[in-house]
Amino acid sequence: MTRIGQTARASRAALLLFAALWPALSLAHSETGVGGGLAAGLHHPVLGLDHLVAMVAVGLWGAQLGAPSIWLLPVVFPAVMAAGALLGLLQMPLPGVEYGIALSACLLGLLVAMKLKAPVALAGVIVGVFAIFHGHAHGTEVPEAANPLAYGVGFVVATGLLHLAGILLGLLLKWPAGDWFVRACGAAVAAVGAFFLFGSA
Amino acid sequence: MCRLVARSVAGGLALGMCFPASAHLVSTRFGELYSGFLHPLTSMQHLVPWLGLALLGGLLGARVAKWVLAVFPVAVVAGALAAPGLAAVEQPMAVINLASMMILGLIAAIAPSLPRWSFLSLGAVLGFSHGFANANLGLAGYAQGLYALGVGLASYLLITLALALCDLLVERYRWGRTAARACGSWVLAIGLVFAGFTLIGDGLPL
Repeated sequence: MTRIGQTARASRAALLLFAALWPALSLAHSETGVGGGLAAGLHHPVLGLDHLVAMVAVGLWGAQLGAPSIWLLPVVFPAVMAAGALLGLLQMPLPGVEYGIALSACLLGLLVAMKLKAPVALAGVIVGVFAIFHGHAHGTEVPEAANPLAYGVGFVVATGLLHLAGILLGLLLKWPAGDWFVRACGAAVAAVGAFFLFGSA
Repeated sequence: MCRLVARSVAGGLALGMCFPASAHLVSTRFGELYSGFLHPLTSMQHLVPWLGLALLGGLLGARVAKWVLAVFPVAVVAGALAAPGLAAVEQPMAVINLASMMILGLIAAIAPSLPRWSFLSLGAVLGFSHGFANANLGLAGYAQGLYALGVGLASYLLITLALALCDLLVERYRWGRTAARACGSWVLAIGLVFAGFTLIGDGLPL
């Protein structure tokens, strides 16, 4: 094949890939029933960038602190988050929910970036307080037609898996370069948190 | 050529004349067994607490938990059979079932060392209440027995597989215990959210 033929073929492939990635979501199906509830719950913590980075930061900080915080934080967070979700379900207003979520990303990111140590109880309290804000947001934004139990399963499992992602990234702490990489991840989380904090002001 | 055509016709006839195999008994009286088997497995209200019980069993270890493999399914069958005659306790049973996710999740997250009798009592009570909730009140006699057996079979398979997996992870891997406790916390969180939704929304799932 000539050089021109190869170029044309590569251009066509690139065009096809671009076209495949371009279409907007059709959203023909609203989130209903068990499947819809599960999907909505799984999406909710992942699609909000501020939620996502804060959850990963919980896992990263736990990994930096080591035992027992590495298991305490992922155990405490879902339970307290569910209490926050209950407040949201009860339509009890929590002032500055979005600021609280952004602040959680900012502060947890800074803690990871600066590799700050904290006693287990203090770490649990810090994470627990922020969990209430995250849970409240999940509780108030449930789609009405979705199965509530499936939605709960979805957002709890997604949150837990994001913690796990942070803990797995924390395995890099064994190496000096990995330690710096984790701290850089913390700085990135803090930057995202600051963006949301000042962007939503 | 003629032989080929004759053979093709004979083959076609043989295929066309065969009787249905009836390998699957869904269309026969055994259908109630399958109906009972699928009922709890298609509902998260039962799946989540049953997995919570298996998690707790795995954390307690096979020595303490192994008897629950017999106690829980028997209690489930007993609950499913007893439900038609115990309509008066429907409300308390629904409360127990609603609380079961939170109770099991909380205990699994804390992971204390429980004595065997208390774990078995928990398995028996929750087995009975969940069997009660799975009962099909429209059935009677033989059909009801088959249905209850199906529910019990599902509970046995689920609890055995999940408990064995959890026990394996806890015993074999250093992170297994931590992972099981975190999953217990998930069950607690799911139970809290569901209880909130239920009590605020449609009331108890009777």
